[in-house]
Amino acid sequence: MVKDPVCGMEIGPQSAFASREHMGNVYYFCSENCVNQFDRNPHSFVMQNPEKVDFAGSATTGFNPNLRLSEIELPVIGLKKGGQPGAELIKQALNKHPGIEKVVINPIEGAAVVRFDPQETGVLDIVNAIKESGYKVGSAQKRIGIEGIHCASCVQFIENDLATIPGVLSANVNVGTQEATIEYLPEQTTLSQLNAAIEGWGYKTRVASSDQPADQQEAAHDKEYRSLMNKFWLATIISIPVLLTAYPQFIPIIRDWSMETLRAAWFGAALLTIPVLIYSGGHFFTGAWAALKHRSANMNTLIALGTGAAWLYSTVAITIPGIFPEGTSEPFYDVVAVVIALVVLGQALEIRAKGRTSEAIKKLMGLQAKTARVIRNGQELDIPVEEVLVADVIQVRPGEKIPVDGVILEGSSAVDESMLTGESLPVSKKTGDEVIGATLNKTGAFKFRATKVGKDTALAQIVKMVQDAQNSKAPIARLADTISGYFVPVVMILAVITFVIWFDFGPAPQLVYGLVTAVSVLIIACPCALGLATPMSLMVGIGKGAENGILIRSGEALQTAQGIKTVVLDKTGTITKGKPELTDLIVADQQSVTGEELLRLAAAVESISEHPLAEAIVEGAKTRGLSLSKPEAFEAIPGHGVIATVDGRQVALGNLKMMQRLNVELGDLESKSDTLANDGKTPMFVAVNSQAAGIIAVADTVKEDSKEAIAVLHKMGIEVVMITGDNRRTAEAIARQVGVDRVLAEVLPEDKAHNVHLLQAEGKKVAMVGDGINDAPALAQADVGLAIGTGTDVAIEASDITLIKGSLKGVVTAIEVSRATMRNIRQNLVGAFIYNVLGVPIAMGALFPFFGVLLSPLLAGAAMAFSSVTVVSNANRLRSFHPKFSAK
Amino acid sequence: MTPIQIVVTLVGIALSIFIAWFFWLAPKGQTRVSAGVSGVQEVAITVKGGYTPDIIVVKAGQPLRMRFTRQESAGCSETVLFPDFNQSAKLPEGEEVLVEFTPEKAGEYGFQCQMGMLRGKLIVE
Repeated sequence: MVKDPVCGMEIGPQSAFASREHMGNVYYFCSENCVNQFDRNPHSFVMQNPEKVDFAGSATTGFNPNLRLSEIELPVIGLKKGGQPGAELIKQALNKHPGIEKVVINPIEGAAVVRFDPQETGVLDIVNAIKESGYKVGSAQKRIGIEGIHCASCVQFIENDLATIPGVLSANVNVGTQEATIEYLPEQTTLSQLNAAIEGWGYKTRVASSDQPADQQEAAHDKEYRSLMNKFWLATIISIPVLLTAYPQFIPIIRDWSMETLRAAWFGAALLTIPVLIYSGGHFFTGAWAALKHRSANMNTLIALGTGAAWLYSTVAITIPGIFPEGTSEPFYDVVAVVIALVVLGQALEIRAKGRTSEAIKKLMGLQAKTARVIRNGQELDIPVEEVLVADVIQVRPGEKIPVDGVILEGSSAVDESMLTGESLPVSKKTGDEVIGATLNKTGAFKFRATKVGKDTALAQIVKMVQDAQNSKAPIARLADTISGYFVPVVMILAVITFVIWFDFGPAPQLVYGLVTAVSVLIIACPCALGLATPMSLMVGIGKGAENGILIRSGEALQTAQGIKTVVLDKTGTITKGKPELTDLIVADQQSVTGEELLRLAAAVESISEHPLAEAIVEGAKTRGLSLSKPEAFEAIPGHGVIATVDGRQVALGNLKMMQRLNVELGDLESKSDTLANDGKTPMFVAVNSQAAGIIAVADTVKEDSKEAIAVLHKMGIEVVMITGDNRRTAEAIARQVGVDRVLAEVLPEDKAHNVHLLQAEGKKVAMVGDGINDAPALAQADVGLAIGTGTDVAIEASDITLIKGSLKGVVTAIEVSRATMRNIRQNLVGAFIYNVLGVPIAMGALFPFFGVLLSPLLAGAAMAFSSVTVVSNANRLRSFHPKFSAK
Repeated sequence: MTPIQIVVTLVGIALSIFIAWFFWLAPKGQTRVSAGVSGVQEVAITVKGGYTPDIIVVKAGQPLRMRFTRQESAGCSETVLFPDFNQSAKLPEGEEVLVEFTPEKAGEYGFQCQMGMLRGKLIVE
């Protein structure tokens, strides 16, 4: 006899319903229910099986030192889906380690299960061994604020004390920030234990000010912004006296200075600009030098060359004026100070504006609940959300955020999911329904079991997907990339040519004209505007999509979506709800039963059947509040229908064949049935005591908003095609209801991709919308595959775009987002191209022969600084984009 | 033309040719990465005004692990992208960040910062 690990029942292995192999052991199950539960989370059941090993990794069972072997499950970060090379590397590293009994790597869950001898090795060593193989162990990192810690020696004590807590991987106390940063395994220790260790030294703990990792980048941006602004202010203050001495003829008092005084003032300017070069503009020079070492050049190179040349020339001109022709020995220190001030200001503004482009991500990350009320050992505990484990039971009260993903165990409520799906109406949830972490519980209280925590939650996946997509490249950026690769050296050559032309053919003083124009060329050229054009808009556009429940996988998907000419919609689950519902109830004329009675009897018969159509009838009766009697003598006749006795009456339910078999006179019901069938419904005759009683029809009904969405797609000039495996009659009935142009019916699932290909062969950009599982090949074949996600599974591999909310309106919004973003990108690119194509020749002096005007290097600096700010600001305009079907 | 103009013109032409040669034509230093005992090709890359090393030669079909460390605060280099491999990573200043994948096909693949100011090349053989 063996024990079913789920229910604990003793069963014989031969008579077991099913068996599963998990981590080298075979388990047997008494029923389908048990094996399903086991499959959902095998580990949780094995962990409760204390016969062989003790599971140190379990927070519920704890650690038992009497047993020789311990086992721990460590989440491993960075394992690829296929598991290679990580799984092999970690195994090798651990097997070299003493005291390791067994290592199992599960790349899908991203976990390493290690069985080890606690006498010989410890969790810390195992973690280190995994780290040495190049992977990180998924630990919780928590910052804890410590009030009033000043002495450096206490730091050591607290650090040592923290490090001795089992499960703590590293502990660092920073006196400067008054914070302890602790990396630990949440299965092994809790936050309160950590706090207690610190408080044991007489310090009070508080919430750390820099707790959110999302803020880390923001903090870095803030620091960079402040540093740039300091640089800007220094350069600005120094610019004032330098400017005064640069244009003495316009300034009273200075105008009257003698040449000697002026020359002395110029020396002063030379000295004053040195701190500008070193402090305010230092990063241009170090950046340029670093690039030069790699034989590459970038914006830093241009600014460094421009300002460096201006400073060098000026300094030579004032120290040994004799070597230059008469009238050319005037300095340009103003160019150095003002250009650096302007460009640094531009960079500071750019950082500010850039911060706003990633607001969508910040908003998403901010949705995460901070704490969860977990029920462990019958006690409610408020714990940080990072410490919630899979299979924990969590209590949620009205008005609270749902902390992680899970399935409701008891209770019901309405949940506001608008933050993730863009759906404005609260969704009603009952026992067995999925809830998504970060959504808001509105009305009722419920308990749910956590199914996904940490980086597996829908929210974490959404954030990851959006971040990846924001950093991907749109094909349109390729051209800009290629150009900017050659851009800087070309500008440098143009500057040299400019100098030579002015020197050879320009008016006197040639040297000054040549230098000014060459410096202007170097400064006005702005590779940044080109480089920023696509990524900035992409950031905002993809973020905007996410705000509306549309996850765009990459820049390429976004770009392709704008040109969609044909949208292929899978019927079941995409246009329709994917689940049959009771639609019609027809009572035969000569019958005395009421509609309700008819339904009650039919539903009672069907309450035993497991057919989806039967479920629809039972569900329909239940929603009408009918109580069902128990059927007797139930019999299912394959291909015909079902028959049973309910409340002493014989009730038969089935198709025409069933009625003929029972010799039931149908009268006009037969033609009514045909009408229903023509509408794409499935009619079933009901006979009571062999008398025709009526018809019950069920159908997979269309989603409320499908028709509206399809109408808008048409308005956008997009052809809508429906694809389905259903027969033509049903398919066309649905198509008529929602207004689809073209129907591809009776298509086998495996032929869907081929049909998409045929549409593409008509020369159209085709988008396929499906559920992502059955339609995966068709989604992959289409130019853009849109998967309709439901519940917590949002990272659908086969799709280019995932619509979190199961509505076709998402298709419209996705195309709208794509069009708006691409329009914005084109504006940016065109703007940046025109700016450079016009700016560089003007700086070279192209206008001089005609109008006698030359661009001052100061203006060039201003133009360059604000061109990239303009690009980022234009990208930010996208933030005000509102889809037609707005959630708000 | 005065002699000095001729000299300036010649110097200008020479300088232009030098710039073209220096940035485009001259062979650049390549860093060949070989696999260690673990079978992983591993390379540490410093990000400061550029990627050091910036031209990395690796073998196809073997896992590649790049350890990026960004030693500057300039916002430009905060993300490294491998567009051909659909990989990207945020590089917080001073922190080592791993980028891992297995290049399957031989060829030359660029990697860069978000706006393409810093560039490197991955040569897969």
